[in-house]
Amino acid sequence: MRQFLSFLWLSLLSISVFSSSAAADSDYHEQLNLRPLPFSGLLASFNFRSNTTVSEFEKGNFRFFPRSLGQILQHAGTRELHLRFSLGRWDAETWGASPWDGAREGGTGVELWAWLEADTDKEADHKWLTLTNALSGLFCASLNFIDGTRTTRPVMSFQPEGDHSTVTNMHLLYGVLPHEVVCTENLTPFLKLLPCKGKAGIATLLDGHKLFDASWQSMAIDIRPICPPGGECVLQIEQTIDMVLDIDRSKRPRGNPIPRPPPGHELPCDASKPYHSHDTCFPVDHAANQEWSLSQIFGKPMKGTCPLTDPAVPPVCLQVPDSRSVFVSGGVREKKNPNHISRCFDIPPSTELEMVLPAPDDVTAQSTVPTDIVTPKSPLLYAERSFTGHGQERGGVQTILRNPSPDTAVDFIYMESLPWFMRIYLHTMEARVAGHSANKSSLIQQVYYRPAVDRARATQLEVRMRVPPASTVFLTYDFEKSILRYTEYPPDANRGFDVAAAVITVLNKGQIQGEGESTTKSGGGGGDGGTTKGGRFAAYTLRTTTLLCSLPTPDFSMPYNVIIFTSTAIALAFGGLFNILVRRFVAADEGPEGGLAMVVGRLKGRLLGLLKGVKGR
Amino acid sequence: MLKLNLQRVVKYVDRLPLFTRLVIVLAVALEMAAVLPWWDIRAWGRLEPDLFNVWTLYRANTYPLIHTDVIHLIVNLFAVTPLVERFEAEYGTLTSLALFFGPLSLLPAVIYVGIERFLLRSNTSIMGASIWGFLLIGMEAIRAHRTTPYLVIRGQPTIPMWTTPIAVLLLTAVLMPGSSFLGHLCGLAVGYICGMGLIKLLAPPAWALRLVEDKLNLRLRVPYYVSMDQVAHGRFGVLPLTTVGAVPTSVLQLRRDPRILKLPPYLSLLCILVGAAWLFLLPLDRYSRRTYISENALLPGQVHTYFGGSDQNVFRAYKHEVNELVGKSNAEFNDKLEPIVKSLGLKTARQNFTYHAAGHTYSGENLYAILQAPRGDATEAIVLVAAWENVKHEVNRNGIPLALTLLRYFKRWSLWSKDIILLLTPDSIAGPQAWVDAYHDAHDTSRVASLPLKSGLLQGAIAIDYAQENRFESVHIVYDGVNGQLPNLDLINSIVNIAGGQMGIGTTLQEMWNHDNGYPDRLRTMLRGMLKQGLGLASGAHSSFIPYHVDAVTLRPFGEGWQDEMAMGRLVEGTFRSLNNLLEHLHQSFFFYLLMQRERFVSIGTYLPSAMLVAANFTIMAIALWMKSGQPATPVEGVTPKAKTETPTTTAERDLFLPLGVVTLIQSLSIIPLYLFNHAPESMLTPLFATFAVINTLLPPALSHLLTHSHTPITPQQYNLIQSFSLLLLGMFLSSLATLNFSLAMITGLLTSPLSFVRPAKTQTARWAVTGLLHAISPTAVLVAGAVCWGVDVTSVLREAAVGWHVCGTYSAVVVWCVWWPAWVAGSVVVLGGRGGGQGNKIKVV
Repeated sequence: MRQFLSFLWLSLLSISVFSSSAAADSDYHEQLNLRPLPFSGLLASFNFRSNTTVSEFEKGNFRFFPRSLGQILQHAGTRELHLRFSLGRWDAETWGASPWDGAREGGTGVELWAWLEADTDKEADHKWLTLTNALSGLFCASLNFIDGTRTTRPVMSFQPEGDHSTVTNMHLLYGVLPHEVVCTENLTPFLKLLPCKGKAGIATLLDGHKLFDASWQSMAIDIRPICPPGGECVLQIEQTIDMVLDIDRSKRPRGNPIPRPPPGHELPCDASKPYHSHDTCFPVDHAANQEWSLSQIFGKPMKGTCPLTDPAVPPVCLQVPDSRSVFVSGGVREKKNPNHISRCFDIPPSTELEMVLPAPDDVTAQSTVPTDIVTPKSPLLYAERSFTGHGQERGGVQTILRNPSPDTAVDFIYMESLPWFMRIYLHTMEARVAGHSANKSSLIQQVYYRPAVDRARATQLEVRMRVPPASTVFLTYDFEKSILRYTEYPPDANRGFDVAAAVITVLNKGQIQGEGESTTKSGGGGGDGGTTKGGRFAAYTLRTTTLLCSLPTPDFSMPYNVIIFTSTAIALAFGGLFNILVRRFVAADEGPEGGLAMVVGRLKGRLLGLLKGVKGR
Repeated sequence: MLKLNLQRVVKYVDRLPLFTRLVIVLAVALEMAAVLPWWDIRAWGRLEPDLFNVWTLYRANTYPLIHTDVIHLIVNLFAVTPLVERFEAEYGTLTSLALFFGPLSLLPAVIYVGIERFLLRSNTSIMGASIWGFLLIGMEAIRAHRTTPYLVIRGQPTIPMWTTPIAVLLLTAVLMPGSSFLGHLCGLAVGYICGMGLIKLLAPPAWALRLVEDKLNLRLRVPYYVSMDQVAHGRFGVLPLTTVGAVPTSVLQLRRDPRILKLPPYLSLLCILVGAAWLFLLPLDRYSRRTYISENALLPGQVHTYFGGSDQNVFRAYKHEVNELVGKSNAEFNDKLEPIVKSLGLKTARQNFTYHAAGHTYSGENLYAILQAPRGDATEAIVLVAAWENVKHEVNRNGIPLALTLLRYFKRWSLWSKDIILLLTPDSIAGPQAWVDAYHDAHDTSRVASLPLKSGLLQGAIAIDYAQENRFESVHIVYDGVNGQLPNLDLINSIVNIAGGQMGIGTTLQEMWNHDNGYPDRLRTMLRGMLKQGLGLASGAHSSFIPYHVDAVTLRPFGEGWQDEMAMGRLVEGTFRSLNNLLEHLHQSFFFYLLMQRERFVSIGTYLPSAMLVAANFTIMAIALWMKSGQPATPVEGVTPKAKTETPTTTAERDLFLPLGVVTLIQSLSIIPLYLFNHAPESMLTPLFATFAVINTLLPPALSHLLTHSHTPITPQQYNLIQSFSLLLLGMFLSSLATLNFSLAMITGLLTSPLSFVRPAKTQTARWAVTGLLHAISPTAVLVAGAVCWGVDVTSVLREAAVGWHVCGTYSAVVVWCVWWPAWVAGSVVVLGGRGGGQGNKIKVV
C-alpha cells in the first residue's frame, strides 16, 4: 500500500511537472514527423532537442548539450545562435506552408545569425570572427568566409527567441554564404552533436545518400536560453532536419539508381484512350500517391529508440488521414491524434520499426485534389524573386509577393543583404499592386537601408511592407554591376555570382492571432510547438531562392598567357643582355674603390707608411 | 638614355643603300609569295642537304632569302639589315651583290651540306638570312679583335674579342628553339675566314666592277647606289627625289607629290581584290582549323543515354494526342497539352503575344513548363523548345511528342543541376522571340505579356524541329541567330561529337545534305553561312535566344535512314547532360567563326581582314579625294605637266557647305524607304517597291539637275568632296559593322565597291553608260535579282524583312537603306555631275 501510494505520488508529481513546463523539464527528446505531400513527395521532419540549465552550462557540466559547441559559445560570448544548412527550394505552390512555419528554414547555402554579448561594435565583430571560424571547423563548412562583406546587422527582421532579460548589450550579426554546397561532410558533425550520435533512434534513418538526394532539405541548429516562469533558466539546443523526399526516386535501390525506362507491361497506362495498345501507352503516373515503406524510403528500418530520450514523446508521427491504414512492425503501438489527420507510434526500446503505407483503397480516385493525404496548408505569403534586364552593365531585381488570403492583409519585413558589387539604386525601388496602380505609397511602410562600401561592406536593405488581401505585389529595384579587379574574381567566374536569398518575415499581429497560430502550428508543422512563447515575433518566415548575377568577366587565360610568356622571355633574354649593354666597363684601377676593399687598402697604406717610417728611422 | 627617335629611324630607313633594300624587298616578296597555295616556295628554295647538287645550285642563293614564317623574317631582317648596310657602305653595292649572291652564300652552304651529309648523315634543311648575319658578325668580330683584342671586364682583359659571336650563337641556339646551330656555325666560320682576309680573294676584281659602274653610269642613274669609290663620290651617288646635296625630306615631300594622288585608286583596287581573294583561301586546310571542344566540363558523349524502351510507348501515345490537334487553333492545343505537361509534375504557365508587321498580326499563346532541378536552386536553366510549326510552316508532328516524352523522362533523373524549361510555341519566330524577350524583361508589355513563372539564367537552348514522318538519316544543325550572331562553337561541336561519336548519326550544316569535305563543298557551306548571316533573319526557333547570349541551335532530322525518334531523343538527352555539366556559362570557345564543314572552321582573326580590307578601300579613296579637292582647280589648257608639278604646295580653299549639305540630305532621305518598307501592309509592298524603283532611277538625275542649275553651279571640287564624304561614311559604317556582322559588311562592301571608282563622266555617252552599270548594283536591282535567283517573289522578301524588323529586331534593313542606298545615290549623282564641252568651259571660268 505504501509502495502504491508513493508510486501514485511520484507519478502525480511527474504529471504535474510535465504539464507545468514540459519543455523545461525533459532533458532530451527526439521526434520524426512524416507527411506525404502531393506529387509523390514525402516531408520528413527530424527534431532533436536537449536542455541544460544555465548554471550547469556555465560550470562546464555538459550532459546532453554538446561540449564542442558549448565551449565555442562560451568562448565567443554567444547568447543565442541560429545556423542553417539548406539545399534546394521549398515548392510552396505544391507543398504548401513550410514546416515549423519557416522558422527552421534557411536560404540555399549556409546562413548564420547570432546574438553576441559585447560592449562595442568592434568587440562584437571580433567575437563574430571567432565564432564563425570555430563553427567553420566544427561543421566542415566555409563559414570562415563570412567576412565583413557578407555580414550585416539586421535591424527589423530578427528578434531573439530566447529570454535575454538579464543581458543588455547584445549585438545581432547575420552572415550568409549562398554558394556553399551542403553535403555529407556537414551532416556527420551535425549527427555527432546528438546524444545518441546517430546510432539509435530516429537519427539512424539519416543517411547522406538519402538526405542529399532529397528535393529540398534544411538542417538547422538553434540555441537559445529559456526561462520558464518561476523555474531556472535553461539553455536549449534544438537540431532540426527537414527534407522532402521524392518517393519515386527514393524507392530506387541504391545499387541501381539509374531511372531506366520500366518494361512496357509495368508502365501504368490509361487504358481508356482509344489508341491504347501493347506498344502505345498514355501514362497515368503522378496522379495517385504511391505506397511506400520506411525502409524503402530511407534505405533501412529504424533501429529502436534512443535510450536517453524522454519516453513521453512518441518518436515517430505520421500525418495521413485516419481513413488510411498503416502497417507497423510488432510491438509498436499506434496512437491516433484527435485531429484525425495524424497518428503517432510508441516504440519499445530495441525494436526495429518498419512502417508500410499501402496504396489507398480507392485507386480509381483520379481527382486533382487527392483525398488520401493531408491537404497542405497554404502559406501566408508566396514570394518569388528573379532578375530582370540583360547585359553586363545593369540589371534589376523583381520580387513577386502574393497574398493568398482573401480577407487579411499581410505585414512583413523583406530583407536583402546584397554583395557590394551590386550597387542598387534605391530611388528606383517601387512596389506596385498587379492590375491597378493606385495607392503605391501604402505598400512600403518603412525602409532601412545601409549602403554598401566597396570591398568592405554589403548592402543591407530591410523593407517593411504590407500586401493587401488577395493581391500580388511587385517589388522592383534596379542596380548597377561594378567591375571587379582582376584578382577579385573567384574561380569559375563565368558562372556568375550568387546573391543570397531574401528573408521575408511575416509579422505576427498581436497576441490573439498568435494563439491561433500556435494551434495551427502543431497541426501543420508537426512537432509540438511549445518551444517558443505564444506572442512570437514572426508568424511565418520564408526565403526566396538565391540568384545568379553575371558580372562582366574578362578572358582570364589570354592576358595571363601573354603576360607570363612575355615576362619570361624578357627576363631571360633581354634582362641579361640589357644589363651587359648598359653597364660601363672600366679598368679596376680607374674605378672608385669601395666597401671592405677600400678599408683594407687604407689600412694597408697606413701600415706601409708606418713601416716606411720605421724603416726610414 | 634609351629613347626611340622616330625621325632618326625614318632617316636611317630612308638612307638604306640599294643592295640592302634589294635584300629586304626580296625577302618580303618571297615571304608573301609563300602564301600561294600551288607553289610551296619554302620547299623549292630551302637548303636541303640531300637535294643539293649541281642542278639545284640555285638553292645556295635562295635559301638565305626564304624564311619559315613572318616572325622569322622580321627577326632576321632586324638583325641582318644593319650588318648588310654596313658591309655595303664599305664595299659598295656591286661588290655586295657579287659577294652575297656568290661565295658568301655558297661557301656556308657547301660546308653545311658537307657536314650534314658526310659527318652527321642527316638531312636537316635550313633557310633564312641569319646565316648572313652570323657571317657578318664573324667578320666584324675579327676586325674588332684587331683593334681591341680583349673585352676588358673589371680591368682584366678576360674575353678574347673574336669569341663574342660564339656567345651570340649559343644564346640564339638556346632562345630560338627552331634555329639551326650548325647552319649558324657554318656562317660564322666563313665569316671568320673572310674577316681574316679571304674576302679580298673572293671579291671580283675592282677594275671590272669599276668598268661596269662607269659604263652604265650607275652612280648617277640608280638611287641609293653605293659606289666603289666612296672617297671620290661620297657615300651615295644619287639621293632620291632631291638635288644632290639636299637633305632628304622625302617623307614630307611625298605628301605634296602629285604622283601620290595617282596611287590610291590602285591601292583601293588592290584592297578589294585581296579582300575578295582572301575569302576563297579560307576553305583551304592551311587557313581553316579543325574544331575542338574547348570547355572541358562539357564532356560530350561521355555518358550513357537511357532514353528508349517503354518511353517509345509513351511517345506513340503523345503523338496520337498531337496528331488529333493538327489544324486546331493555338488555344485549343494549349488547352489540350497543358494538362499533359502538368501531369508530368511540372509547373506550367502561358504567355500571350501579338506582333504587327507588314499589315499582318502575328499573335499566339506560348505554353511553357519548368522542370525544377530536383536538388537545385532556381539559378540556372536550359530550354527545350518545340515549336508547333517550323519556319517552313510544317507541323512539328514528332518534335512536340518527343519533347513531352523527354521531359517525362528527365523528371525521373535527380542529377539535373539546372532547371529544364519546356517551351511550346505556336510558331518558330514570333513565339520564341516573345518568350525570350519577356524572360529578360526586354518586352513591350502592350504587345507581349510578362511571364508569370521564371527560373534562373538561361545557359543554353535546344530546339527540336522534327516534322519528318519517317525514320531519318542525319541531323541538320541550324545555328544562325538574329543579326548574324552565332552560338558558342562548343555547343555545335558537342552536338556533332555526341551525334557522330556516340550515336552514329551524321550531322550537316547549312543544308549541305551531301558534303564531301572538298574545297567546293567547303566554300559553298561557308558562302551559304555568310549569306544567312548577312541577311540576319531568324532561321529557327533558336535564333531569338542568341542575342541574349543564350547559346542555342535547332536540330532537324532529315534524309531516309534507320534512326528513329528515340535516337533523336538520345541525342537531345546527351546534349542536355553535357549542358548540365557546365559549371560556367559557355564562354571558352569562339563566338565569331565561319563553319565550312562540321569539323572545320575559321575564326574571326583569320577572316576579318577581308572585310576590313574592303571597308578600308572606301576610306583610302575618301582621303585621296579629300586631298585631291585640296589641289587648285587645274586649268584645262595652256599648262604643261611640268608646271603642274611645281605648284602643288598651295592648297585650294574647300567649299564644304554644299557637299556636306548634299550628303546629309541623301543620308536623311534614307529614313523614308526604311520607314515605308517596314510599315507598309503586305498588299502595298509590291506597288510601293515598283514606285520606289522608279523614284530611285529618277532621283540621281533630279538631284544632279538641281545642283547644276542652281544659281551657283557646283564645281568639280565639290563633286570630289561629295564623293569623299559619302565614301568616308561608308568606310566607317562598314568597318564597324564588320565586327558585328562580318558577312553583311562583306556583302555590302563588295556590292558598293564600284562606288570607289566612279568619277564625273566626261561625255554624255559615258555618263549614261556608267549610270546604267551603277543601276545594276543599286539596292533595288540587287533585291530583285536576289529574289529571282532564289525563286521567291519580292513581296515575300520585303515581308520577311518587315517581320524581322518588328519581331526580331533585325537591322539588315538599316544597313541596306541607311548605309548602302545613300552611298549609291551619292555615287550616281557624282557620275552625272560631269560636264561635256561648253559646260566644262563654264567651270573653268569659275
